[in-house]
Amino acid sequence: MFIDIDLRDRKPLYEQIALGIEDQIMRGLIQPDEALPSVRSLAMELSINPNTVQKAYGALEQKGLIYSVSGRGSFASNAEGLLPGKREDILKQLDEIITKAVKFGISMDELLERARNAGNIGNT
Amino acid sequence: MIEAKNVSKSFGKIRAVDDISLKIEDGRVFGLIGTNGAGKSTFLRLAAGVLKPDSGSVEIDGREVFEEPEVKENFFYISDDTYFFSNSTPDVMAEFYRKIYPNFSVLRFGKLMDDFSLDRKRKINTFSKGMKKQLSVILGLSAMTKYMYCDETFDGLDPVMRQGVKSLFAGEMTERGFTPVIASHNLRELEDICDTVGLLHKGGILLSEDLDSVKADIHKLHCVFRDENDIEDVKKELDILIEDKKGTLYTLTVRGMEEQIMAEINAHDPVFAEMLPLSLEEIFISETGVTGYDIKKIIC
Repeated sequence: MFIDIDLRDRKPLYEQIALGIEDQIMRGLIQPDEALPSVRSLAMELSINPNTVQKAYGALEQKGLIYSVSGRGSFASNAEGLLPGKREDILKQLDEIITKAVKFGISMDELLERARNAGNIGNT
Repeated sequence: MIEAKNVSKSFGKIRAVDDISLKIEDGRVFGLIGTNGAGKSTFLRLAAGVLKPDSGSVEIDGREVFEEPEVKENFFYISDDTYFFSNSTPDVMAEFYRKIYPNFSVLRFGKLMDDFSLDRKRKINTFSKGMKKQLSVILGLSAMTKYMYCDETFDGLDPVMRQGVKSLFAGEMTERGFTPVIASHNLRELEDICDTVGLLHKGGILLSEDLDSVKADIHKLHCVFRDENDIEDVKKELDILIEDKKGTLYTLTVRGMEEQIMAEINAHDPVFAEMLPLSLEEIFISETGVTGYDIKKIIC
């Protein structure tokens, strides 16, 4: 499983892992009820502490993104119910960027043009 | 659990370890960090029962370590300068450790040697420094002990090997509650693997805490204010550890919660304010309060 880890990031490692997995579940790269890698194999793959992976899985379970079956490991939940919240988060981030862009004198037309282009790339 | 209670050790007039108390919990990675001469190696040697504490005690699962061979079967100690018998080969060393550690796995030793592509019959004195470190790690893992003390072990390994050894540690930890204790001054090495860090300075311990909570408690930020009075107000309100000013740009290292710090800064309507990533190295410098230790100042 590919997870981007950035040691310079202010976010703790477990949070980065949790976000990476969340992203993949939300985007459907991990299907509902699909098994996640075991704590052991993910820790070994990323060369990190298994306690960190455990902590990430704990955080994801709390958010309802994954569920664990004792003795069998962790599985992705059906994340559809969580999508509206995620969309709202993304829009909020976008608001911040747009406010900043306007402050730096980027025009509305430029912004719309950008949005259209980026949207087209995102669709393909 | 390894528990040090008020341990002190002096060599002549030098107080290498000064009244250190700390607990190393099972199944977690403990990182021992500190400047050169902070007492990391001495502490490990005390924990390994090589040295007898002048006062205080080091116990493993409730039993004193010094001169207790049975207790010593619980850990494998990789010292800074790896030692092997003269003219020996890896096989000879494995045979030696097999006699000392009852759980030593010859099978595992063979497999790891193959994985690391090391020749079991080659004379160790023809090995490079890094290969010797690899061999120590392999012998240590094959001994199947609960604890492993690594004194600057990672520093001699190349990046690929470091990742490999970390992976192996991760595997061992999930399989059998393995507990590595890693001493290093190379903080970047410890950042991604340690659960808990113990910060040594001048023989004493400054803190021993969960790495995540250490990181959550200290923040660094850039900010520019409209008015000099604003920065004065902010300074009164916040617990500022390090302050640096370049032109109008302030770089502050602050203790406290992220939200509270930003709320305080934003209340003064700054021209610009931004949180910066904080490395363990910077936390280390903030905590020791030794900006004076900054090597640049020594050279310049």
